[in-house]
Amino acid sequence: MSNSLIEVNNLKKTFGGLTAVDIKELGFNKGELTSIIGPNGAGKTTFFDLISGFQNSDSGDVHLKDKDISNFQPYKIARMGMVRTFQLTKVFDRMTVLENLLFSGSEISNDSLFKSVIKSKSQMKYEENLKDKAKNIMEELNILHMADSYARELSGGQKKLLELARSIINEPEILLLDEPLAGVNPKLAEDILSLIKKLSNEGITILMVEHNIEAVMKISERIVVLAEGSLIADGNPNEIRTNRNVIEAYLGKDND
Amino acid sequence: MKISNKVVFAVFLTGFSIYLVFALNPEGASRILLNLLTFAGIYGLSAIGLNVHFGWTGLLNFGHASFMGVGAYVTLLLMPHAAGREGEITSTGLPFIVALIIGILSAALFGLLLGLPAIRLRGDYLAIVTIAAAEIFRLLVRDLESITGGVYGIINYTENLQQYRPNFINNFSESFGFSPSQAWVCLVAWVSIFFTVLFLKRLNNSPWGRALRAVREDEDAVRAMGKNAVWLKLQSFMLGAGIAGLSGVLLAFNYGSLETTVFVPLLTFYVWAIMILGGVGTITGPIFGSIIFWVIISETDRLAFILFENANGQQLAGVRFLLVGLLIMALMIFRPSGLLGKKEELLLDVK
Amino acid sequence: MLDQLGNGLLLGIIISVASVALSLLYGVTRIVNFAHGEIIALGAIMTLFFSSPVDYRVLFLDKYSPLGYNFALSCILAVIVCGLFGALLEICLFRPLRKGNVGNIAVLVVTIGLSIFTRHLYLLFATGKVQDFPLELQRRQTYLFFDMTPRNLNVLIAGIVVMLIFGFLLTYTRLGKAMRAVRDSEELSSVSGINSDNIILITWISSSMLAGLAGIFQAIINDVRWNMGFLILLLIFAGTVLGGIGTSFGAMVGGFLIGILVQVSVGLPFMEGHTEAKNAVALAIMILILLFRPQGIFGQKERIS
Repeated sequence: MSNSLIEVNNLKKTFGGLTAVDIKELGFNKGELTSIIGPNGAGKTTFFDLISGFQNSDSGDVHLKDKDISNFQPYKIARMGMVRTFQLTKVFDRMTVLENLLFSGSEISNDSLFKSVIKSKSQMKYEENLKDKAKNIMEELNILHMADSYARELSGGQKKLLELARSIINEPEILLLDEPLAGVNPKLAEDILSLIKKLSNEGITILMVEHNIEAVMKISERIVVLAEGSLIADGNPNEIRTNRNVIEAYLGKDND
Repeated sequence: MKISNKVVFAVFLTGFSIYLVFALNPEGASRILLNLLTFAGIYGLSAIGLNVHFGWTGLLNFGHASFMGVGAYVTLLLMPHAAGREGEITSTGLPFIVALIIGILSAALFGLLLGLPAIRLRGDYLAIVTIAAAEIFRLLVRDLESITGGVYGIINYTENLQQYRPNFINNFSESFGFSPSQAWVCLVAWVSIFFTVLFLKRLNNSPWGRALRAVREDEDAVRAMGKNAVWLKLQSFMLGAGIAGLSGVLLAFNYGSLETTVFVPLLTFYVWAIMILGGVGTITGPIFGSIIFWVIISETDRLAFILFENANGQQLAGVRFLLVGLLIMALMIFRPSGLLGKKEELLLDVK
Repeated sequence: MLDQLGNGLLLGIIISVASVALSLLYGVTRIVNFAHGEIIALGAIMTLFFSSPVDYRVLFLDKYSPLGYNFALSCILAVIVCGLFGALLEICLFRPLRKGNVGNIAVLVVTIGLSIFTRHLYLLFATGKVQDFPLELQRRQTYLFFDMTPRNLNVLIAGIVVMLIFGFLLTYTRLGKAMRAVRDSEELSSVSGINSDNIILITWISSSMLAGLAGIFQAIINDVRWNMGFLILLLIFAGTVLGGIGTSFGAMVGGFLIGILVQVSVGLPFMEGHTEAKNAVALAIMILILLFRPQGIFGQKERIS
């Protein structure tokens, strides 16, 4: 277990009496494609928030690459190689699609105020390369034709693609995808799924929260099931499909 | 180069306003115009700084006057001057440029000090905190009489700038009948605006400017990309504060004497009105906004004088503020994007 | 320090009532009303307008003939006028803005513009002179451990009584519960049959009446000025923040504490010779609270950042 890339221990989070997350032990290994599923209110997004630094736990700890990141700021965790997307797609509305990607792909030292005033040749070159990189990704995800449109003009599905593009432009080690298929038409969902599979094959560790069980069963190597904040099942798709607890959690206990 | 309708309209309106000054003042128009342009330049510069705070970064700064004040007081106190009730003279000091740079940096530092704790606060709370901080600044300045001259203020400092006044200004002023010292301040103000605008345009089309825009859009997404949203906001806060500091110094030189009634909330509200009028988020908007604003203010001053014959000076000044209040309300309700602002980039409809 | 306690209590009751009014409005409408000070001033100015006898020149228009009504009646009329003013603001200004989905930041700036406009309207029409109510002078008396005039003591007691009644109404009547429901969630309450527009209107009226009363208190204790509301606006914010944003009880307590703090701080060692800066102490405290305990004393943890 100490070889896990991500590890949580005794992780607890409550909101005014309601237990959102209560997990004794859970770890994720390098290169795995894991889906996190569970009925509504199971604490999946809260779990994401806790491991990506967007919320602090009440107790317990989170380790990333053997480092205790329990109280780290989200941007620090992102710099360690863990990038996430959001349940309600977050794109920069009043910037163009290209600008969205240029910002995301630009490294922190490139953004510095000093450098931006000087505008050296090397920065110009860097920006050129960045633009090419952005264009390649846009092409791969089929949004190149929207490059100069404001992000707010994009359809729901295109926004999801943009958010994905933004997440991968920096070649992250770990991707946390929060409902990447939500509200997306079946054809696009297929494309997104194959992209996720492809990323996983390239070695990226992926954690995915999803409600689309069919898709989850199709591509996951491992499935983790949460209900009412706790871990109730953990295994490969076949194991989960036939797991009693999982079925109960989804359908309610009065189903015998 | 394509020039949009908005710019054409703004230029026209500005030109018309200036024409109005001549039309309504058959005598002494050039003197009035110079005075107006000087204030317009100084306030315009301040509004450009405020725009960095609000237009670029979405920070509700209602204590802007205090940044101007910090710049002014620090700069003045570092140069030869006289202060306090006795007019105590300090005859040595730093050269103007050095004092000015330190003054600007001090304003930026004040921005950092205020921003460090406050920048995480939500909009309306940041507004309250900035007003409170500005009020504390004003009270401190008033009470530390031994340093700042308190209510008696600082005098005898204008020579520090005026000594650099070139001869052509003197000749120019003589032929037009206005004050050469004010003409010099006016020129310095507008040259400052020119360079500040160039600087900001450069920054706007840069990775830093892009990062700041992203912060304005969605801080969480910025953090998810590994970037420190708070530090970016702080940098912008410092930048706007520095610009405000410069404008504060210029204001002090325009007045010739400085005391505690200058850097007050009403000053902040003026600058806000100018910024909204010119167009939130635009770099050059405040320039047009400022000129038009000052024409309105100065001409209605005279209008009020004619209308309300029995009013005393204080009440007449009140008419001017009446208009400012009305202008702010009308703009926010009917035309929040102002003269040059882009509707798509409007920050003000954030709930 | 103790001799400032009397002054502290008096400033406290003013800030207290004003804070409760502001907090009520903010709680239900989520508007930070920077023009709050002007509604406060209106209460005082209108009372002066109604009660002024022959030798006061209140209004700017020379043709003014004084009304000279009974003082108590004038107060009541003034409070009613304030309520009407609040209703006017809601119907003509803030409701259209709300329906037009204008954001909170824009509304905040509008209230600032409104504040500047209204205040200088007062300056123009009620003059910049400092004026007093037509009440005869009294001498201070000692009560328990503070000094004040008998009239001011009455004000203090009246203020406390008003707030207790208000608190009772808010907690136990159907109307009060409806107001709190709208405060907690406008959508939910409209689903359960509460007409939020009416509730908001009533809130504006009540808040304005309370504010007007605070202004009358301030004028009795001090005097009538065109900018009297603006002068204490920041202290009112401080009181509301200290007590806890969104709770009326908190606003009441917070307002009192701020008032006492401000006056009592005059006696502190480092304040010697700097008594004018006593407001700064209250403001500094407010900033500190917003930074370290934003929910104040009694408030709920709300999203502050």
